[in-house]
Amino acid sequence: MSQNRSWSSRSIGSRLQHHIFYTLIRFGGRNAAYVLLFFVVLWYTIRPSIRARSTAYISRRFPRATGREQFFHCFHLQMELGKTLVDRATAGILRAFEITGRAEDDDTLIRLHAEGNGVILLSGHVGCWQMAAMGLTVVNAPVHVLLLREQGDVDRHYFEHRSQKIPVSIIDPLGYLGGTLEMMAALAKGDLLCTMGDRVLGNDTNTVAVPFMGGTIRVPVSPYRLASATGAPIVVTFALRTGPGRARHEIAKIIRVPQGLGKQHAAYLPYALEFAAALEGITRKAPYQFFNFYDLWEKQRK
Amino acid sequence: MDIKTELKKALVKELNLEDITPAEIEDNEPLFGEGLGLDSLDAVVIVVLVQRHFGVEITDMDEGKKAFESINTLAAFIEENRTDHA
Repeated sequence: MSQNRSWSSRSIGSRLQHHIFYTLIRFGGRNAAYVLLFFVVLWYTIRPSIRARSTAYISRRFPRATGREQFFHCFHLQMELGKTLVDRATAGILRAFEITGRAEDDDTLIRLHAEGNGVILLSGHVGCWQMAAMGLTVVNAPVHVLLLREQGDVDRHYFEHRSQKIPVSIIDPLGYLGGTLEMMAALAKGDLLCTMGDRVLGNDTNTVAVPFMGGTIRVPVSPYRLASATGAPIVVTFALRTGPGRARHEIAKIIRVPQGLGKQHAAYLPYALEFAAALEGITRKAPYQFFNFYDLWEKQRK
Repeated sequence: MDIKTELKKALVKELNLEDITPAEIEDNEPLFGEGLGLDSLDAVVIVVLVQRHFGVEITDMDEGKKAFESINTLAAFIEENRTDHA
């Protein structure tokens, strides 16, 4: 069944609001922005329409929460997102951001890259996902990021605060054939390809249904088909925010998709299940760093 | 067997196209969208197919875009780039 996209990556803030934050960061630093953020987030959380965006997730993650507790969880979730965005702007404006990786994860990434088939870094809208590519310097290879830029979005990525060359290559998922040729070319050259596994762009055609937090969500099959076609390993990784201006890469799982699985989506289901399990694991570990503000879950059929 | 015929056979086989035979695919028919109706993930299969069957890698986005228009353009791309012209 097809359905239109039920999410948007556009910021809910106005251009002016963003510029106030950018100016505050420039002259007052990150902490000054956090103070303003507290009041902005409180204002947003009071509004039922904003709280409704996270209700589906919060009611599954905290099923026994009372109404007041749900409000608190929503505030905490929004605050964490806000801090992540302030950190991102600070990384661009003041160049103050540190993203590290565990030594064993760095070794794993180096080893997988040395196989020569490229590496697919599969993540979700978790933690500092927008800056995850910054922490991939351990591997000396170009980084390509599949990134949707909504028309009219006023929110800036960290590299858009700088006049220098963009440190990663951006692939537009709305481009020709969804950026497939560029992704294949990147992997053929042995590069790193960052993509997201938790949101569906367009309709349900190229998706599979997987269990997630007690319900069913649809996830794209494209990462697994790419892996099968190219022989590239999939590294499921999340960049969790660990403090002000700090994040840590964590490899949650390595997925090997055999070659020659063909066109049927069902053949890729086992690998999508592995990703969904890893994503659910991260919601248990960092419940306030899961940033999908819409109802991901399929409605149960009566 | 010429490249176009080989391509059509490979497409039908590798993409499991059940409602069409190789002979029914028009040389000028668009491969994606209207026409043969393939989608972006089918492009993944075609890139591999072209590499496996003809030894031609599609690594340039602009070239690939032109090549993926139809059987005619894809065959021309393969003809131009394959190293063994046997």
